[in-house]
Amino acid sequence: MVKKFLKERLGTIILFVIVIVFLIWGYFSIEEARSNAITYNEDYEAPEGDVDFTIPGEYVSVAKTDSLELFYNEAKGAIQVKDLESGYLWKGICDDEVYDLGTGSVNGLWRAYLQSSITITYNNLKKRDSGSKKEYVGRECGSIETEYITNGVSVTYGFLTPGIYVTVEYVLEDDQFVVRVPVDKIREETVFAVSTIELLPYFGASHSDAVKDGYLFYPDGSGAITTYAKADTRPSDVTAATYYTYTNKNVNFTNLWQYDQYNRYTAAMPVFGIKNGDNAFLAAFTENGENAGVTVYPSGYVVDLNHAGFEIYVRNTYNVNMYSMSTSIDASVTGGTVERVDKTLIPENREVRYFFLNGDEANYSGMANVYREYLLENNMLSNSISDGAGMPLALNLLMGTTKEGMIFDEYIPMTDFEEAQEIMERLKERGISDMEVVLKAWMKDYDNYEDWGPAKQLGGTGGLKDLNEYLSSSNNIHTYLENCIMFATSETSGVDEKKDVAYDGLNLEISASDFDGTIYYIMNPLAAYNRNNNFLDKLEKYDILGVAYDDVGQYAYADHNEQAPYLKSETVVRLRELLGASEGTGRNVAVLGANQYVYSYADYLYGLREDNYGLVITDYEVPFIQMVVSGLIPYSTEGAGNLAYDLQVQKLKWIEHGSLPFFYLTYESALNLRDTGYDALFSSTYADWEDIVVDTYKEFQENFSCVYGEQIVSHKILTDDVKCVKYGNGVSVYVNYGDEETTADGVTIPAKDYVVVRGGEQ
Amino acid sequence: MKSLKRIGIGLLAGLTCMFSVSQTALAAGSDNYVTGDNNYRQPVPQSYNVVKTINNIGDYEDEKQYFSNPQDLFVDKEDNVYIVDSGNNRIIKMNSKYETVNIFYGPDKAFRNPQGIFVDDDGDMYVADTDNSRIVHMDPKGNFVEEFTNPESSLETGTAFSPTKLIVSKTGYIYVVRGENIMSIDGNGEFRGYYGQTNIGYDLTEALMRIFASEQQKKFISKRLASSYINLTLGDDGMIYATSMEREEGELKKLNSIGTNIYRKYKTIGNAIRNPITDFINNKILKAVVAGNTFKFGEYFNDDGMYMEPEFADICVDSEGIVTVIERLNGKVYQYDQDGRMLVAFGGTGQRTGTFTRTAAIDVDSAGRLWILDRISCNIQVFEPTEFIQLVHAATSAYNDGDYTTSYDLWRRVLAIDENYDLAHVGIARAYYKQGEYKLAMEECELVGDRDTYTMAFDEYKYVVLRQYFVLIVFLAVVIIAAVIILFSVFKKYAKKCYWNYLNHKEKKMGIGQGIMYSFYTLLHPIDTLEGIRYNRARINMAVPFILMITAYIVRMAYLYIVHFPLASIELGDVNPVFEAVKLWIVPISWIPASFMATSISGGESKISEITFTSMLSLVPYIVINVPLMFLSNILSKTQRSWYGVFTALAYVGLFLILLMAMKILNNYTLKKTIGMMFVSAFMMLVIWLVLLLCYVLTGRVIQFVVEIMNEFKLNFL
Repeated sequence: MVKKFLKERLGTIILFVIVIVFLIWGYFSIEEARSNAITYNEDYEAPEGDVDFTIPGEYVSVAKTDSLELFYNEAKGAIQVKDLESGYLWKGICDDEVYDLGTGSVNGLWRAYLQSSITITYNNLKKRDSGSKKEYVGRECGSIETEYITNGVSVTYGFLTPGIYVTVEYVLEDDQFVVRVPVDKIREETVFAVSTIELLPYFGASHSDAVKDGYLFYPDGSGAITTYAKADTRPSDVTAATYYTYTNKNVNFTNLWQYDQYNRYTAAMPVFGIKNGDNAFLAAFTENGENAGVTVYPSGYVVDLNHAGFEIYVRNTYNVNMYSMSTSIDASVTGGTVERVDKTLIPENREVRYFFLNGDEANYSGMANVYREYLLENNMLSNSISDGAGMPLALNLLMGTTKEGMIFDEYIPMTDFEEAQEIMERLKERGISDMEVVLKAWMKDYDNYEDWGPAKQLGGTGGLKDLNEYLSSSNNIHTYLENCIMFATSETSGVDEKKDVAYDGLNLEISASDFDGTIYYIMNPLAAYNRNNNFLDKLEKYDILGVAYDDVGQYAYADHNEQAPYLKSETVVRLRELLGASEGTGRNVAVLGANQYVYSYADYLYGLREDNYGLVITDYEVPFIQMVVSGLIPYSTEGAGNLAYDLQVQKLKWIEHGSLPFFYLTYESALNLRDTGYDALFSSTYADWEDIVVDTYKEFQENFSCVYGEQIVSHKILTDDVKCVKYGNGVSVYVNYGDEETTADGVTIPAKDYVVVRGGEQ
Repeated sequence: MKSLKRIGIGLLAGLTCMFSVSQTALAAGSDNYVTGDNNYRQPVPQSYNVVKTINNIGDYEDEKQYFSNPQDLFVDKEDNVYIVDSGNNRIIKMNSKYETVNIFYGPDKAFRNPQGIFVDDDGDMYVADTDNSRIVHMDPKGNFVEEFTNPESSLETGTAFSPTKLIVSKTGYIYVVRGENIMSIDGNGEFRGYYGQTNIGYDLTEALMRIFASEQQKKFISKRLASSYINLTLGDDGMIYATSMEREEGELKKLNSIGTNIYRKYKTIGNAIRNPITDFINNKILKAVVAGNTFKFGEYFNDDGMYMEPEFADICVDSEGIVTVIERLNGKVYQYDQDGRMLVAFGGTGQRTGTFTRTAAIDVDSAGRLWILDRISCNIQVFEPTEFIQLVHAATSAYNDGDYTTSYDLWRRVLAIDENYDLAHVGIARAYYKQGEYKLAMEECELVGDRDTYTMAFDEYKYVVLRQYFVLIVFLAVVIIAAVIILFSVFKKYAKKCYWNYLNHKEKKMGIGQGIMYSFYTLLHPIDTLEGIRYNRARINMAVPFILMITAYIVRMAYLYIVHFPLASIELGDVNPVFEAVKLWIVPISWIPASFMATSISGGESKISEITFTSMLSLVPYIVINVPLMFLSNILSKTQRSWYGVFTALAYVGLFLILLMAMKILNNYTLKKTIGMMFVSAFMMLVIWLVLLLCYVLTGRVIQFVVEIMNEFKLNFL
């Protein structure tokens, strides 16, 4: 009976079961969607505003220290800071003195913007793909509530239509002007969610005609300035430049790996500075600066004002690719992208400090010095050059790589462990006793980011052991095994493609595919940390070898992994722990890239950027990072002597930046590297370069060992081609890149050459 | 770098969303590279530095400071620079210190959208006053001298005269770009004829249309025009260097006095037969997959790894004959020597100094500095050569002057900076060749994969060796020939034995070894062999065709490794094993279903198993010919390529003949019917390929669709 029924009605039963399964599934997914849904006050009605920006208001003193005085204008919610030493008044917003706010010169929107202490950018959470809107204190802000606090003032700017209230605290502390944005005081009354807060965009803004001798300093590459005087040599459409702290805002492989993208947007330090004549300030993000950017507007971007400011990203944003069905097969399948914001605010309190400088200090050298002091005081920078240490030679050795073959890939050994030892020994014999040597690509499968297993073609573990032994008898040769722990591919052993990788805001793995199908992943911070610990464990037997990281100093990113999400700032903490763990094993630590958080751990910084991206607005490159770390951490440049189009020019760059002489070599001929991933190493054969390396080092040793371990206290651009660097012990170095002999400060510098001035003597 | 290597495979599998992944490991500003004759970018040291960016003309008599859509730039003998600021209808003259010294708005009447300028040695200006339909000649002060209006109006009708780019030769003739021609006008304004017409090529579709279309329809067939010229310049050697859209012969041309292109040309079959299928294969598949082995001005792929056809906006030639061109889509600057070999490529699109938005014009001054005009960014960037590229230029011109010793020394100095610079190795190889050091020359060539110079050296070297060891070589040759003959007869005997064994032992299934030898008997007695299969179809061993298939593949792979370097059509590293397998097997494998389908509906008797067997037999000639050929090739060079090609062709003729005979014998067809059925099967084969292609494409769509749905879902519910 049952059997018969089953036989006849089997189809119906199956259909029924399927429908039920679907219904249950649908119910749960709707429930889940509901629990994820955005809740907001639908009945919000914007209250009536009571702020009239046409009232000029009055600035009253709210705080005073030995050197600074803070003024506040209740009517506009604006501040001014007076440098009591020089008497210079730094204005928080533009007034008619700074810029003609009449209807003839700016429109309403810009007039409002120029008078805004902050601006907000917000999105509608219900229509998350609809794009963002920007509002200005000077226009949309309907309520300004002021609360006087110790040493300053706390101002709540209420943007009534979107119902967003932001509180900013302006105080004077430690003779610095401090601005705080507490996250718990950001209120959102309705569906609108603030994503970006622009902080004091016009603080210290000035017209190019009003201030002749001035510039904006910003963290492009090693540091860059755009001068007011050159405003009229720029194109008609000047664009602003934004630099994001440590790594671009949106984390994907293009932004991380494409040289152009990375360098265009990355700031190694969250700082910027403005110099107006004999007065200057350096603004630094001193707390939770990870989700922030510096925006620089040189004169010509709509208004003829030079200004710069911080942007705070209070929400994570991510790009969503909208795949377009209409694209043809051979065209790109990526359609437009929309930016979406997170539902919740990033729970971080922000703090920005303004350091004021005047007189001789009012320049980027002064900014570097004051920032260096700040970092030293806060244990963010430490000295790793021992007294009396000799100036080392910086050397990178490429150990091996893989060349794609027709069927099997071929391993190409370039420098095995024994040969590396031979190179060091040869150089030692020829008088180079101090070296910083980074061994690159020494693992079995570096292409797939294997982090352990010395390639057997290079001598394997035995070879590594011998090298370790050799190094234990040569104290001054610091040798680092380079590793990359933040990246993995689908073929990396011991990496779980689900658990160990970082996720984006859509909860998808951040990945990229190579043309042969290899998938690249970014490790999540915890996995990277664990991976490093494993690496250190395996390295236990080789006690002398240091470790080098080619990624930790370059990238810091948020991980939206649902199980253990990491904010960008938490990642930074984790990375510092990682470096701390490496340092804790008693090894030397070298770091590629120069993100600020590595300074207190790094014993050697390599691949430090020696130039900047090269935007039209950039007039000069300045060695800001170098000035901050000089004399504390030895560093070498990105550009190797053997890859320069003219070694002399590269040498001058090293001298100007106080860098170590640096070469990137291989034992075997560079011809082997054709058509491999390292083909950019077009000239590296040790035998060909040995003499040049030794001569260059000798030259540096003779002339610059007196300044090794000394701070660069000032760097000056005398002409486009002539630069002057002054060290803490009074030694000055003049560098001339030009093709003609030049005289500066009474010193004659031959063409393409340099002059060292010690205590008045050349 | 790495990503470009993998592009071949990428394009085949290019349906899933991919990123071009490149590592920053070594990137230190190395955006200078050469591509040589293959398409891989080999980085080279920085060759040019931007010394100046001119964004505006500075303060000059209250004139408008900024450029507006500037279209042309010219550097005269005194290094004055003339900028055609088309949007502002003016010509700006600057001196070499970047100071504006004069501005011209037109002598007798105002310029209207001028597009080009040429300045002769006396400083007289010739401006293409485009919208005024004239070329106007001004003296150095900007006074009117004469004008040239449409000179050919009596000759041709209708087309308006809108001159854009022009030059004036030493003889006073004006040469102006006019579509697919360069028009020449003499000093009296008389039309002197068209010059250097680009090739129109042959188009099968069009030819068929012309045959079958009615008179009425023909009127609606648009007239096909040859590719047009874009720009031109006058070299110090009196030659006209031009850029064009001509893809067959080469976009860059060096035209002599009678308008013949004497610059490097593409070695394509382009002018032969063209039809949609060969076009598709050429453009989409071959170029993408085996891009490694054909030379092209510019590049096949842009920075994102996408296939591109370059558009060269302008060209300039310095006094040493170094040719520099700008490519406007990709923003690259390419530099070539007189032989059309790339010296360096740099630039690109971007916001950085040294990159461009849309380049419009280039010229070179006496110091070798390149002035490049960008019409969207409205600026001029001045690039100064570095020591490295100056050495390269010096070495190139020393070689061109026949000074091989100097050139050798200079190339050595280049190598001291860049060990991997291709042209330096070639230069040294050529110097060795001239000195009679053939062996050394060959070694240098092999380092960088230069086949032409290698061939020259190898041919000489061969004679040297032959002269030296004549007796020994003759002796060896005799021994080898004797050995081959003996081996062959043994082989023949054994194959015959296997054949008869198979036929006579009707109770036994075919053994594998026996089957293979049996297969080779095809070469001796194809008809008998095929009939043997037909009448004993139950006993054939299907492992045999499989082994043949694999053997042919192994032979192909071995061939790629063993074949002599100058004859290799593809670099070993570029070989894609999957693509090689497809190329080799596609015909015999797709033949199986095609011919089975075709024959089974028209009285065929063949079974699928025997078709499989015979299809794979068709690979036997391929195996037998290629095995000795790959060894023999090592004493041949590129010059003997043609008769070497004959053997390769023989393998394919054999393949065809075996398939034909198999069809006839297996199905018991008449010859006429066989040939008919061959066509049907070939058609079937095409259909099968198309269906497979369609499936491939549609699967891609389905994947895309699913991804889309998933994204949509995530977007709305998360």
